[in-house]
Amino acid sequence: MALELAQAVFIPLILSPLAYYFGKAGGKRAGWLTFIILLYSTVQIILSASKFSSSDSYSERFDWRPFGEFGLKLDGLSLPFSLMITLIGTILSIYSIPYMVRKISIEIETSENRIRRLNRRLGIYYALYLLSIAGMLGTVLATNLIQFYVFFELMLLPAFFLVSEFGYKDRERVGLMFFIWTHAGALILLIALIVSGIYAGGFDYHAVSKANIPENIRVFLAGSAILGLLFKLSAFGLHIWVPYTYSEAPTPISALISSVMTGIGGYALIRILTFLLPSAYFLSLLVLGVWAVITMIYGALLALRQTDLKRLLAYSSISQMGYIIFGIASGQYFGIAGSVIFYVSGGFGKALLFMAVGAIILQTNTRDINSLGGLAKNLPITAIASMIGFLALMGIPPTIGFQAEWLLFTGAFRGALEVNAFDRLILAYIALTATIFTAGYSLYMMRRVFFGIRPQELKDVKEAPLIITLPLLILALLTILFGIYPNLLIDRLIPLTYQILR
Amino acid sequence: MSEALYAWLIWILPLIGAIVTTILGKFEKPRDYLAVLFSFISAIFATLLIPSAIEGKVIHEQVEWISAPPLSIKAGILADPLSIIMANVVAWISFLIMFYSLEYMHGERDLTRYWFFMNFFIGNMQLIVLSDNLLQLFFGWEGVGLASYALIGFWHTDEQKYWVGKIGQRALGIDLAYSPSHAGMKAFIYTKLGDISFLIGLLILFSFSGTFEFLKLAEDTSWVKELSDRGLLPLVAILIFGGAIGKSAQFPLHEWLADAMAGPTAVSALIHAATMVKAGVFLIARLGPIFYLASQTANVSPFFETVAWIGAFTAFLAATQGMVSKEVKKVLAYSTVSQIGYMMLALGVAGLSANFIIGYTAGFFHLMSHAVFKAPMFMGAGALIHVTESKFMDEMGGLRRYMRFTFLTMLLASFSLAGIPPFSGFWSKDSVLKATLYANSPSSYALFSLGLITALITAFYTFRMLGMIFFGEKNNSLEKVEEKGHKVREVRPMMWIPYLVLGVSSLILGLVGPLIESNLEHLFGGYLKESFKIEALEVVDLSFIVMASSLPLIAIGSFLGYQAYMVRRIKVDKIFERSSFVRTFHKFFDNRWYINSIYYIIFMYGILKIANGLYRFLESIFDKSNDALALIIVSFSRAGDLFDIHVIDRAINGTASLSSLFSRIVRKLQTGITEQYVLFFAIGILIVILFMLI
Repeated sequence: MALELAQAVFIPLILSPLAYYFGKAGGKRAGWLTFIILLYSTVQIILSASKFSSSDSYSERFDWRPFGEFGLKLDGLSLPFSLMITLIGTILSIYSIPYMVRKISIEIETSENRIRRLNRRLGIYYALYLLSIAGMLGTVLATNLIQFYVFFELMLLPAFFLVSEFGYKDRERVGLMFFIWTHAGALILLIALIVSGIYAGGFDYHAVSKANIPENIRVFLAGSAILGLLFKLSAFGLHIWVPYTYSEAPTPISALISSVMTGIGGYALIRILTFLLPSAYFLSLLVLGVWAVITMIYGALLALRQTDLKRLLAYSSISQMGYIIFGIASGQYFGIAGSVIFYVSGGFGKALLFMAVGAIILQTNTRDINSLGGLAKNLPITAIASMIGFLALMGIPPTIGFQAEWLLFTGAFRGALEVNAFDRLILAYIALTATIFTAGYSLYMMRRVFFGIRPQELKDVKEAPLIITLPLLILALLTILFGIYPNLLIDRLIPLTYQILR
Repeated sequence: MSEALYAWLIWILPLIGAIVTTILGKFEKPRDYLAVLFSFISAIFATLLIPSAIEGKVIHEQVEWISAPPLSIKAGILADPLSIIMANVVAWISFLIMFYSLEYMHGERDLTRYWFFMNFFIGNMQLIVLSDNLLQLFFGWEGVGLASYALIGFWHTDEQKYWVGKIGQRALGIDLAYSPSHAGMKAFIYTKLGDISFLIGLLILFSFSGTFEFLKLAEDTSWVKELSDRGLLPLVAILIFGGAIGKSAQFPLHEWLADAMAGPTAVSALIHAATMVKAGVFLIARLGPIFYLASQTANVSPFFETVAWIGAFTAFLAATQGMVSKEVKKVLAYSTVSQIGYMMLALGVAGLSANFIIGYTAGFFHLMSHAVFKAPMFMGAGALIHVTESKFMDEMGGLRRYMRFTFLTMLLASFSLAGIPPFSGFWSKDSVLKATLYANSPSSYALFSLGLITALITAFYTFRMLGMIFFGEKNNSLEKVEEKGHKVREVRPMMWIPYLVLGVSSLILGLVGPLIESNLEHLFGGYLKESFKIEALEVVDLSFIVMASSLPLIAIGSFLGYQAYMVRRIKVDKIFERSSFVRTFHKFFDNRWYINSIYYIIFMYGILKIANGLYRFLESIFDKSNDALALIIVSFSRAGDLFDIHVIDRAINGTASLSSLFSRIVRKLQTGITEQYVLFFAIGILIVILFMLI
């Protein structure tokens, strides 16, 4: 059937009410329906990917006056992103079943009509889940600024409800926080989008990229796009919502937001700043670079001292976002490609870790590191998955993390050397050296949770059920396979970034 | 089968073995034997390549790996004389250690993990050896690091019997005893620091050369000019050397190796003799000729100077610590660090001299002889620990009567380490010392002297170790062990055969030592000429001068050790009591020159302090900014929807539902959200999108 991309985006969207009714009628069935829908979307993305090669692209366009065209376009840049969104979305949809059933059951233990309430809430969960994924997918496939923004909102709003409805303690306040901070960014971005649309006389990407916008306006546009997206990317100073959101959101949603959603800010930065406003982009490199390095070091340092598993991962995510920004700040096609692959590797890594942490929470009922220890014996698969997740974050081969790291830093060094920018060379040096902190907090966490003396009360902890460990293992395997053979992700990405930034 | 295929199989087979082990996890016997078998077959393939090494052939084969134009990277194997000899050393010693593990690890839990990582370790080491480019080499490089982390921390449950170091010993308030999981982490962090430096150098190099392949780097040296024009060439070379410093445990990243003794002894043997620490030396051997070639058109001597000095200083530093350590494995660990220092010294001075081949061969020759004598020492030490149930030498004593094969092996290997003629260590150490004299550098004599002093100390601590373990009276604690029902006697043949084989090999290697040296020199001479056009120059033979200066010092060191610890005529305790000078130095060395403690204070506690400070001060400011922002936005939306209506409505052009929804949500939040509302929202969004499409 044709229109693969439209199907990939709109089928989850249109069928989301169905997920609600499935849930209402059959509880867990909503999860399986969601799984099937997202699997279908994943297949559609892969099918569309097979339709183009090299620096080419595949797109579907519809008339959408007065904004221009409503298009869905898969190219080297949007492919890794959309693949990650559907893939992680699919995996997390199964993982959510036992996790959310357990979590909701505990919460409504005392109320009447337990089964009915549980089922209804599961239905709502999956309906929102599908909407959010459709939003993300639409965001990265959009070809029009307004379309981009609509999907951007569609991604954020359901996520907000998921946090404030299904989260842990203080969830409404935290949900509000997530909402306000991401929207502060989104509105600043919106100003940039609208102004560039007005100057370009149309909102389509290709119209904007060809438009003759005055230089000072371009700088203003680039500035507000950067600022707006750095909110989303949780750059230093704009990150305060992250530790709260990631630690209080239900764990599958923490995994979804941290591994695929937040990084979409990186996609937008590349698409809007680098592709549409290249001249202003080159002016911003140093500022972006410094900001990125501060972000990565700050996040990693704070991760070192955390005693709450999910908070630790939250600060680690902040640090990881720093790397994505840093790759973009290289001004070099290797660096941009590295950023994208970093999104993928960080996505795998963080999804693995949040899922593993979820398994720990499920099995031990605690996420306080101080009361854990020696769990490698009880939770071997979880331990292996966490280790592979951390290896991806640390950039150790054979995980995909290393492919990301070397591409990204080759870009950073080359970018600095090409223009003889000594300051940026030093910056790249510092940034790469800062990866030692990643190793530090990763191994420190592994040691405190999985190794060492096991507290007496954890003696009888059992490994999580297969429905949790299997997704973990699949993800771990993919992390390694893509690490050894990254061609599927970069064979279209690098030609594209090369063509744009030659 | 083609020779290229052999080369692929050498590193792929152990990796397959690792996977097979995991699959067979439940069936213990087949799992164990298959694991060993895989390392054996890999060794056979390594042997099959020896003829082509002797012919001086270079086997090179590539396959497509990453192709994303303009980026194109091929994976490949490069089996030249250097890598073939190295692959053989690694493969055979690894196999013997694997064989030894069958008995040594018998009865331990979680052996699947053990076999997996042992084979993984070997496979990755061979990947380093046989890679034809730096990127692929880096895969092996990090794989080796990962395996060492996992194996050092093998007993990760951290019971006290697995700890390394004397529990309670502190220096500057920092504990000097570590649990296995701590030691594993320490190893990983230290080597990772080196790896980061390596990666920085590597990527800057790649930025100029556009290729990772060794052959291309040597062929087209235009990158040399570009790098040196910017003054980056020595820096890049030194950064790459940083990787070797980390992996080979050289100063200033040497502190991890002694604590890595927390792992099973078979693992220590593998790390010290065949893999890991040899990887650093191999890297310099791989890249040395390329940088030497570069030195013909640019100034690279700061690089070679650094390598030589770090090597010489580390050799001395570690030897002094080996002199005072009471744990048998730690003495061996310090001696490894020290001996690797010699290898680095040789490779460093090679680059400073007009005749590159002498130093190059010396370094490699010492690597080979060290591999052969250090592996049996560790395996022997493992047997000793097994039998005596203690890792402290002062709880052993008098064992020569009870463990004859172990004693014989340790004796043979120790003579080699001490540098006693005609054992292999003597020849190789002498050729290292000789190489320093050829260095065309003002520091040549200083390096030579440092090497000589280290040779003396080495001889002393080797005899001290032998004496404390095998001579004197049987220690009280041994009787306690016997009371428990464990008889102090020789271990089973499965265990002693592998190390006796290696012990005797080190004797044989010594007997034909000069022959091997000249053969290696010939082989590498041809290889360097073929591949890098580095010519051997005629030089005055200095062997006699070197021997005349080193032999007396080795004799003195051995004699002192013999008197004090074997026949025990010099009363060490008395000297220790009487002389505050000896006590001061003893404490200084025993506390590892305080380097370890200083690192902990600055880098661990210091950084944690900074992190805590940041969290307390900065993060609370951001928390406040959050409250402020929330307040502003909420009051905004309360005051009216002016902003929304003007900005968003115009954008959405009539589809006002989204924006009014937006502000209503914010207001609703203060009263909480009902589920119906969520559902309404979901459907609303859907309608909005559909509406826009039409």
